[in-house]
Amino acid sequence: MGRRLLGLVLVYSLALALALVVYATGSLQPPHEIKRLGVFYVEETFFGNMTAMSPEAVTAIVWDYRGLDTVYETAVFFLAVVAGLAVFRVSKTPPLKRGVGLTEISRTSTKIVAALIVVVSASIALHGHLTPGGGFQGGSTLAIAPLLVIPIFSYYALLARRLTPGLLVTLRGLALTAIGLVALLPVFKGLEVVTNIRFYPAYILGQLVSGSLFLYNSSEYIAVASGFAAVFLYLSFEEEFHEEERGEDHE
Amino acid sequence: MSEAGLVWSLLVGLLAVNLLVSVYGIIYGRSLTKKLISLTIFSDTVYVFFIMVGYRLVYPTVPPVYVELTRDQLEYLAKHAVDPVPQALVLTGIVIGMAVNALIGFGIIQAYRLKKTVTARELVGFEEVE
Repeated sequence: MGRRLLGLVLVYSLALALALVVYATGSLQPPHEIKRLGVFYVEETFFGNMTAMSPEAVTAIVWDYRGLDTVYETAVFFLAVVAGLAVFRVSKTPPLKRGVGLTEISRTSTKIVAALIVVVSASIALHGHLTPGGGFQGGSTLAIAPLLVIPIFSYYALLARRLTPGLLVTLRGLALTAIGLVALLPVFKGLEVVTNIRFYPAYILGQLVSGSLFLYNSSEYIAVASGFAAVFLYLSFEEEFHEEERGEDHE
Repeated sequence: MSEAGLVWSLLVGLLAVNLLVSVYGIIYGRSLTKKLISLTIFSDTVYVFFIMVGYRLVYPTVPPVYVELTRDQLEYLAKHAVDPVPQALVLTGIVIGMAVNALIGFGIIQAYRLKKTVTARELVGFEEVE
């Protein structure tokens, strides 16, 4: 233990020394200007000729200017979760039990907090093209709700409400298909893949939806949330259940 | 020579050391789980470096988001907003990193199921020396 502490002290004195040397030479100062590319995106995102019709420059870059990257990134994320679920594959869900979970106090407070999480996450995702946030952020926030329910109510509460891994994986597949469709639809009109404002309307019923950004964000919201929820659900099944399942697989 | 310069240098020093510590953890961590934790610390440090690249020291520094849709706001943002490009890259990085970490996590759980250990040396057949 003493040696570890010594190591930490040594390492952080090194950091301090490094910082002081850098400061003394005066070579490192926070910049007062940002790169030309950054200014370009800030200027173009709403008013320019290459507008994405989104007041939020980061979402505009993620789903419009570099939209193809993000579609591939979604594919990578999808494959990683599929690979994980393949390792954890189960043919059925565990039999339901009653009377498990924590006390009434924690149950009630969890109900309130879970409802709040759903509202906040929807706000983060659906306003992704207007304010900081987006589909991935909203989806990962929403996935916290089942994660909270699992230890407090036990996963039987989710299964009893038909929130099974099968349903979640299906939801995820549907949402990802929606993302693929939104990306591919402009091709049928002779435009490039992931075209935004030249194909999709910027305003619907007087509300700014920034073309495809809103569609991408809402689909990604469902995809990420259901993907994470499925992973959490699989991970929460008892190891004995998984062993039983594997035993049946081998026979 | 300024206070901002001092804070900036301190941040750079601490991040550099954070990188060193996490690389040490990845190489010398005995359990695969600890290696994974070190890997996440490493990637998070890189993200903070990214965000630092996009920062600008003006008063006030604002996020690259239009609060109102006017031309005045455009000029204001061009002078005060931080760089949105590193933020978008970090967002992509976080998603990919999460996918990779989840996959490694599943791999570790599977390794534990098959071999009943997550110590790297034991997994490859070496006796644990301690």
